[in-house]
Order: sequence, then structure tokens, then C-alpha cells
Amino acid sequence: MSTTTTLLSTPLVTRRVQAYFAPVNRAQEQATIFDPAVNGSFNLSAPPAPWVALGWIENFARQSGSKVAPLSSGSPATTLYQVRESTDATVSFAFKTWSKLSMALAAGAQHMNVLAAPLTGIAIGSGAKATPAAALGVGSSATSLVMSAPTSLTAGSIVSVDADYLGQTGWIGSGISAAYVNSASAVGDDADYVRRVSFNVGRVVSATSTTLQLAQPLLAGNPSTGMKVQQVLGFVDREGGSFFPEWSAVFVMQGEQGDRLIFHYPRLQPTSYPREVSNVLAAAIEMVGPQAAFRALPVVDGNDGEQVLCYRTYLPSPSALV
Amino acid sequence: MQNAKDSFYVALRNRLAVINPARTVTLRAVQRPSIMVEEAEPPQVQLANDIFVLRWRAETVNLQLPSVLTQTTCEIRYATSGSQQNAGLDRGRALTEMDKELLAMLTPLQTQKLNFTQTPAAVMQTFVFWTEPTLSPVEVLRDQLSRTATVTVFAFEEQGE
Repeated sequence: MSTTTTLLSTPLVTRRVQAYFAPVNRAQEQATIFDPAVNGSFNLSAPPAPWVALGWIENFARQSGSKVAPLSSGSPATTLYQVRESTDATVSFAFKTWSKLSMALAAGAQHMNVLAAPLTGIAIGSGAKATPAAALGVGSSATSLVMSAPTSLTAGSIVSVDADYLGQTGWIGSGISAAYVNSASAVGDDADYVRRVSFNVGRVVSATSTTLQLAQPLLAGNPSTGMKVQQVLGFVDREGGSFFPEWSAVFVMQGEQGDRLIFHYPRLQPTSYPREVSNVLAAAIEMVGPQAAFRALPVVDGNDGEQVLCYRTYLPSPSALV
Repeated sequence: MQNAKDSFYVALRNRLAVINPARTVTLRAVQRPSIMVEEAEPPQVQLANDIFVLRWRAETVNLQLPSVLTQTTCEIRYATSGSQQNAGLDRGRALTEMDKELLAMLTPLQTQKLNFTQTPAAVMQTFVFWTEPTLSPVEVLRDQLSRTATVTVFAFEEQGE
């Protein structure tokens, strides 16, 4: 007596798309590469470092702008070959929720922290010159900030933790390249400018007069010597400016049968300025999320040296025919 | 969702106590603002006069968000026969007064979510919010005028709920 196992070929049935992002090292021009051989089956709730989960997205749309043209010869002309004229790809989607990172990704240009400022300051659209920063003491970690002097910050505060701006040019910001400074004069030689653009931010969940406990670890890890703390009231981006942020991204469609479709864009730069998309919950109540649109930029594939804009990986269900 | 329902009711009750301190009812020997949750009181065959009665109806959940968003329909029913001293001839005015109080109770259209399973109630992390009310036409039953206002109450489920 023999047993026959019937394997099924099924379509991918999925409910949602999940998005993960990682920084591109702008100074080294290095994207974060997602390796499906190593991490393809990762736990969707706990992505491998340095990927950061940004939850479910909607209206996910991939578009290829690549062009293929015929090469013809003879009379009448007959297509003999095809040639690739150009390679281009874009992707767009809407975040369901707001956060520092989702807003920055959807910003399309420079994204900043709104630093707490004295009420007497001169008004600036992206936030007035800030209240002076507080220095960190010895013993701080990525989740616990030890202040060098008593602080008035309380649980619930948001803080930016980064170094003073010391007149340097080029990429600045700990953990993630947050901005590019052309000259010290362009940023008013502002000592707080790095903290104004930094992604090294966190929410204080408990506080004593000298220690702030953060809800999540700082993206840049343990604070380094010289870093200071400033209170953040919120985040701001602008229509305008010359800065192009760049991110690495992974989008996952998890199938109902255990299969998985993964889209990896090693380098994405925004193609639009800040926009929002809204869903009506009920009459006069809307749910609003940031809308993002990107153009993919190339990396060189390590297996054959080809220039690639994005990768699509399919991990079949254990029961499916291949 | 229970915390959201409780928070919604208590918010309206506290607001009513400020808007019209004289609108009170004695239930189970306790005098309190004249608003109650139907499912938390003994069944009644007829809608009592001069009290706001909350009835919870359809409930749906949105699982497409990092935090589950619940939405529940709440019918707020109220009736009046006017005052005895005016022989009920002021029942139209009395209903209009209850309409006005209801709209004031529902504004602002949000309240802090609280957990009433402990004393004192614990402040939770999110707010309960609701739609503007839809008012039904007046219903007439002999000398009683009644109306039902419908709002949809939204809340995000928090850890542990």
C-alpha cells in the first residue's frame, strides 16, 4: 500500500503589507541590505537589526518605469533583439499611524525635531532657538539617561539625545544620517542643530531628578561622551529645501498558507513632499496618515555585479508545489 | 471596550452634574445625576421620564491598526411628560431642555479613558472619542415625548484590555 501526498499550488492570499526600514549610511554610501537567505523567515514582530518595524501600511503600489525597446532591422523591419533603454522603479503607500520615523520617511525633505524653546524667542517656522541642552552624566545607556544635574523633565517628555554642533560640514546625526550641512553659517552655527535633526530620540516613561528612563532604546545605542539632552515637543517637516533623505526598505506580504512575498528596496529617495491620506471613520471623523512615495536607486548585486533597484523574493508555503 | 463604555458614561454623568445639578434621580436609595446605563440597571418595561438612558448596540473592531480600534453604537434615550405644576403642558419645552443638556454633555467629543476596576480609577493612555449625535424624530406616546440620540463611540484597546 502506498501513500500519495498531493501538493497544492495556491495563490498568495494576504491581508496586509508590513513595512520595515533601515538607515542608509550616507557618508559611506552604504545601503542596508536585506538578505532573504539569512533573514527571509524573520519574525514579523521582531525584525532583525537594524530594521525597524513601522507597522501595517495601506495603498501599497509598486510601479516599474523601466523601458524595453525593440531593435529592428530589414525591410520590412523585423524585431531582432530587445534592448533595455532605462531602469526605473517607484513605490508608494500610506502609513496608518504617525511616529517620528513614519513622518520622516514620508517627509520628502528635511525632517526636524521641534525643540522646546523659551517663550521670548524669535519665531521660526521650524521652531525657535531652543532652551539650552542639559549635559549627560556618567553611566547612561540606550534606555537610561543619567543627567549631570537635576532635570525638570518628567515622564511623558520626549527627548533628543545627541552631540553639540561644532561647525562641522557633511552628514550629521547619530545612528542615522539626519541632515547634510553645507556650512556652519547655513545653520546659524547653532549648537543645538544636531539635536534638532537627530533621530536619536525617545519617550521618557519614568523620571527622577537625575535619571530618565526611556520607553525604547535610542537608535544610536549607548550615548557617547559629550552628548546632551533636549526636550522635543513634536516633529516638523517642510515643503521645500534641498535635502533628499534616503532609506532602505523591506515590505512583506504574509500569505495565509505560510508563504511570504518580500519586496526589498535597498535605496529609496522620496519623490514627493509631505502629503496625507485620510479614511473616513464616521461622519466628521477621519483617520489621517502620512502618504509616502519613493524612487528606487540602484545597488550592485553581490552575486553577479548587476545594478538592481529592488528585489522580489517569494518563500513558498511548505505544502505548495514549486 | 468595557473601560471605554465606563469612561463614556462617567464623563456624561459628571458633565450633567455640572450642566444641570437639579436633574437628579434616586436609584437604589442613592441620589445621583439623572443618567444611567440600561444594561447595568434592573430591566424596565417603560422608558422613565426625565432621565438619560444609555443603551449599547452594535460593536465592531478594526484590526488593521497596531492598536485595535473598537467602535460601538450608543443610543441615548430620553423622555419627558413635562412638569406636574404645569400639567404637562410644558413637555415640549422640557424635551428641548433635555436635547440641549444632551448636546452639552457630549461636548467635547472625547474623554480620557479610565479603568474603573480599581479605586480610585486609573488613568489610561488613550482617549475615548465619539461622533456628533444623530437625533431621531420625537416619538409621542400619550402624554410622553421621547427621543433617541445615536453616537458612535471609538476607543483604542490598550495593553491588558
